[in-house]
Parts: sequence; structure tokens; C-alpha cells
Amino acid sequence: MTATLSCTGLSKRYGDILAVQDVGFFIEKGEAYGLLGPNGAGKTTAISMLVGLLQPDTGSVQVCGHDLAADPLAAKAKIGYVPQEIALYPDLTGRENLRFFGRLYGLPRRELAKRIDEVLDFVGLSDRADGKIDTYSGGMKRRINIGAALLHRPEVLILDEPTVGVDPQSRKAILDGVEQLVADGMSLLYTSHYMEEVERVCKRVGIIDHGKVIAEGTRKELVSTLGSADRVELVLDGDLDVATDKLRAVEGVTEAVRAGTSSIRLIVNEGSHLLPTLIAAVRGIAVVTAVEVIEPDLEAAFLHLTGNKLRD
Amino acid sequence: MSPSPVRALVAANLRRHSRDKVGLFFMVVMPFVTILFVGMALGGSGSGQDRIPIGVVARDSDPVATAVLRQLETSHDLAIERMDAEEQVRSGVRTGVLAAGLLIPPGSTDLELVMTQTNGSGMAARGMIDVAVGKVAAVLEAVRAAEAAGASPAEAEALVRKAQASSARVAVSTSGAAESSTPRGFAYTAPANVLLFTFVNSMAVAAALAESRRLGMIRRSLAGPVRERSVLLGEVLSRLIIAIVQACLIMVVSTLMFDVSWGDPLGVAAVVGSFCLVSTGAAVLVGSLVRSPSQAPAIGPPLGIVLGMLGGCLWPREVAGETLNMIGYLVPHGWGMDALITLTKPGKGLGSVLTEVAVLLGMAVLLLGISLVVFRRRMRTSN
Repeated sequence: MTATLSCTGLSKRYGDILAVQDVGFFIEKGEAYGLLGPNGAGKTTAISMLVGLLQPDTGSVQVCGHDLAADPLAAKAKIGYVPQEIALYPDLTGRENLRFFGRLYGLPRRELAKRIDEVLDFVGLSDRADGKIDTYSGGMKRRINIGAALLHRPEVLILDEPTVGVDPQSRKAILDGVEQLVADGMSLLYTSHYMEEVERVCKRVGIIDHGKVIAEGTRKELVSTLGSADRVELVLDGDLDVATDKLRAVEGVTEAVRAGTSSIRLIVNEGSHLLPTLIAAVRGIAVVTAVEVIEPDLEAAFLHLTGNKLRD
Repeated sequence: MSPSPVRALVAANLRRHSRDKVGLFFMVVMPFVTILFVGMALGGSGSGQDRIPIGVVARDSDPVATAVLRQLETSHDLAIERMDAEEQVRSGVRTGVLAAGLLIPPGSTDLELVMTQTNGSGMAARGMIDVAVGKVAAVLEAVRAAEAAGASPAEAEALVRKAQASSARVAVSTSGAAESSTPRGFAYTAPANVLLFTFVNSMAVAAALAESRRLGMIRRSLAGPVRERSVLLGEVLSRLIIAIVQACLIMVVSTLMFDVSWGDPLGVAAVVGSFCLVSTGAAVLVGSLVRSPSQAPAIGPPLGIVLGMLGGCLWPREVAGETLNMIGYLVPHGWGMDALITLTKPGKGLGSVLTEVAVLLGMAVLLLGISLVVFRRRMRTSN
């Protein structure tokens, strides 16, 4: 199967900081690929290079067989880009904003009118199409932001944190829509802080940290990197910093991080067997008020691979 | 270059501008309010060729008054209006209906000149009244001299008439004065406000360019199949169209409402067109340099007004003094005003303002060049 989007050896340096280092992955036709990484990992820099907004120092990007550097217009015409920040004219209506983007992509007048109606229907905003954007809720703006990227029927849709700051109803609508697009054969590159969204939408996931893709695979493949490890969450009352250090030193604990004001999250081998040892380790420092052993999931894999929670 | 992205950007920018109520007020209403009130203060004439209105209070039976009036009426530049009361004259001068007033008390040679305006028409009225009174005084002096020399009043009058007839053969011609004279009233304020408001409103719309950057619209446009130069052209063209619409609106409305004569259409188009390019260059430069949209209106319009002052758009440059006049030539408004005023004079056309047009085009090229370099750099660094 040919890749709709592929990149190899992408690097970008800002002064002394190597923001992206030798990043490479591919997305097949109709495949949803998730890019996970903590803040500052290099996700947005990588995406900026993938959509042609930033010139890489090294490496190349291919979109549907078009080299982005050699034939940028043909390559960009195949991409639908949904930026993290909502980029819409607030004093124009939803329909007028879509018309602007459709014209930008050179859609003929009649086709554009038809596509605008289709896209408005798809994002569920037909009834608010003629309202100005500055009267929309955050979720509605996000949906139009996505709609603008769909007008020209792109081969690959790149979504950079598309659900940031939206209400649950709009998030559900966005995720349902994205799943529908993938089911219809569109390729997808999805970045999000929300692990559950990536688990739900994406077939394969790349984990990026400190500018490098440190692991890549299906959810099952990534979780299997944990081996027989479990994720354990302890709710404690006491000195959590000292308790975290104590727990980290316990044999069989591979990761221990604070989670909120009263919890410590751990990756441990044979979690259920190790529980008495864990509780004993914090005795005198903190009182364990609740314990949860969670089956290995993508978040545990992420924690294991990066040593950070995703939202750090 | 595909025209679609350029058209898309122009259409979106113009639509956004058409929804800016404050911007529309300054574009559609404010220029005409300014032209009306400043034009009336400067004499309220559209062609610049009308007579200067002077109110006079005098008795017909008074020989001095009769002589002065007769002398004033010989001037083709003055419109003499006889009035009954001093207060009528003072009120007319105060409200700007009259450029000046002359009060001639019965049996007295102590005349009173009433004027408040120190502008072109007021000063011109004063000059012409001085000349007329001077001539009458000269005749009176001559008659007195003849009588003192022993002539009878009838002989004295005959001698003076003879002297006047011979002095009439001495013609004093003025060169340059007519050409350099500044038109009055609307004929002055209309071209002045074309330049002033085209520039000021171009600077005001510079905020929209900064806003597009802040919103991420330029960045998102560049993520599409759009060349960088298409985005540049779209943004520049949007500002140029707004400048041209502003200039045309003022010219058309002031022609219809205030009967302003602009002169050779080709010359006017060349001057106004090149000035619009200068305004666009300045707008794109300001829009690219400022960091936030709120900075543009804080910098642009005040700068436009200062340049307008220096260039003679707020008051005639002849009252500004030599130093300010020289500084005026450093700004586009000075060249634009010179050119537009020249074109209002009979027989003047594009050929008469080629230097001004060339200077304006040079300024436009310089400003557009710098602004495009800065704008392109901003586009790249905002990525």
C-alpha cells in the first residue's frame, strides 16, 4: 500500500535548540496516525514542516507522491490542515469563512457553494452558517475550523489538537466526524493531549519526545513495551514528594510520578502482588486511602517511554 | 500566479472593511464634514475662481464713500454687498459669509476694516481694499494739492482726471502670482481632504493587516496551495482598492455637492493614483511593523494627520512659512497638493505635474518595497 503522507529525517534547529531531530513516519491511505508527545516535544514544529509552513533543515516530506519541497502547491493541495489555534475571520460568518478557504483552494463557484453546504452539514452548523464567527461558542468555532480544511476534499487531514477547550458535546461531534472521515477513506494525522481520543481514533501512534520519535506502533504494540507491567494509582494523604521517592526505590517499580495533589501513578511489574510492598514503603510518610490497579494502556506506555505524563 | 487566492483575500478583506462601522464613518462621513466646514471657513467656493465677498456700510451721499465704492466695484475679484448696519457686516465676517467688511463713516476718511480671517481670501480682500482706498486717497490728495496750487475745484478735478488718464497707461503686470495663488474654499479643501483622508484611512486599515497576522489567517493561507507572493499581492491590493475608493468617493461627492473643479482628468488620475500607491505602501509597512492590531490605529492616523499638516492639507501652505513649506516637500502630501492645485488652473494638464507624479511614484516604490520586505519577513517569522 502506498503512503499518503510520509516524512524522513526531518530536523529543525533554533539556535542551540534542536526542536525536531530525524523524525520520520508514514501514513497509509485511510489510516489514522496519532502523534503523542508532551508540551514542547516538537509536535507543532513537526506539523509545521509537514504542511509546508516551515522549511526543515534536513529531511523530506512526500504527500501523495508529491515532494513538498519540489512541488509545494501540488503537495499542499492534497492536505487539509486544522491548526491548533482557531484561524478564522471573527467578523465574517461561518459560510463566508468557508467561502474564503474554498476560493483559496481554487474551488469553482458552483462546486464551492455545494461543498460549503455539505461541510456545514457535516460539522452540524447548517443552522448557524450565517451567524458571525464571534457569536459562535468555542466548540462551534472548532468545528468550522475543521470544516475549512475539508472543503477541497483533501487526501490527508492534519489535525493539531482539534478539541482543545471545547465542551463535551462538541468534542463528541468532532470525534464522531473524524471517525467518519477515516471510515470514508481519508488519511489522518492527529495530535492531542487527550490519550483517550488518540486511542479511539488512531490505528497507529508515534510517541515524540525531545524532538524525536521514540516509539511507534499500534496501541497493542506500544502497550506490549510494558511487558507484564501494570499501572497502579495510589491515593495518599501525607508527604507525596517523599512518598514518590520511596516508591521509586521499590524493586519492581519502573516509574513513579505525582498525579494531582493526592495521587501517585506507578508502572510496576506484577502490580497486584507488589501492592503490600508499596503500601509498606510509604508507611510513616503517608497514609494510603485508595488503590487502583489499571490494565496496561496507552497512557501507561507513554509514561513508561517518556517518564512523563502526557499533560506535563 | 493563480488569481483565486488573490481574489479570495481581496474579497474577504473588503467584506471585513465594509462591516467596520467606525471605519466606514471615517471613510464616508468624516471627509465631507471636514470639507464642508473647513471649506466654508476658507471662503466656500468650489472653483476657486469666485469673487471674494465684502460687506460695505456707507451712505450714498458721502463723496468719499461713493469714490471708494466705485473703486472697489472696478475690481473683478470682489463681490461688494451693500449693508445697512455695522452689525450685519461684523456678523457676516464672523460667520465666514464675508471675507471682510468695510465701514465708511459719513464725512470721514477714517475707514474701518472688519476681518477675522487670516487665510487666503481674508488677506486677499484686505489687499484689494487697501489698494482701492489708497487710490481714492491719492485722488483726494491730488485735488487738494491742485487747489492749494491755486486751481479752482473744477480745474483741480480736471487736472486730476488728466493725471489719472495718463497713469492708467502705466500698466503693472504681475507674473507668477496668479499661478502660485492658492484656490479658496472647497476648491482647496476638497483636494486637501482627498489626500488627507486617503492616507489617514489607509493607515487605519493597516490594523486589519496586523489583525490577519494575529488571527493566524496569513499562516493558514500559506498552508494551502498558495504562493507567498499571492498572499502579498492579495493583502496589498486590498489596501490599494480601499485607498482608491476613498479618493474617488471624495472627488465624486465634492464635485456634485460642492461644485469642485478638479482639472484634467488624466492628470488628476495620475496624481491621485500614485498617491494611493504611496498610502498603500505606508499602510502595509505600518501593518507589518506593529506587533498588535491596537498599535496600528494609535500610530497610523496621527502620523497621517501630521504629514497632512506638513503637506498643506489642513491649511494653505502659504500661511505656514518658508521652513514648514520646505519640510512639506519631504512628505507625499506636499507634492500631491502642489499637483492637484496646479491641475485646477486653466490650461494645465498631466504634462504640468509630471515632476510631482514622478516624485510620488518614487515614494510609492520605496515604501512598497520596504513594506513588502518587512511583511514577507513577518510572514516567515510568524511561522
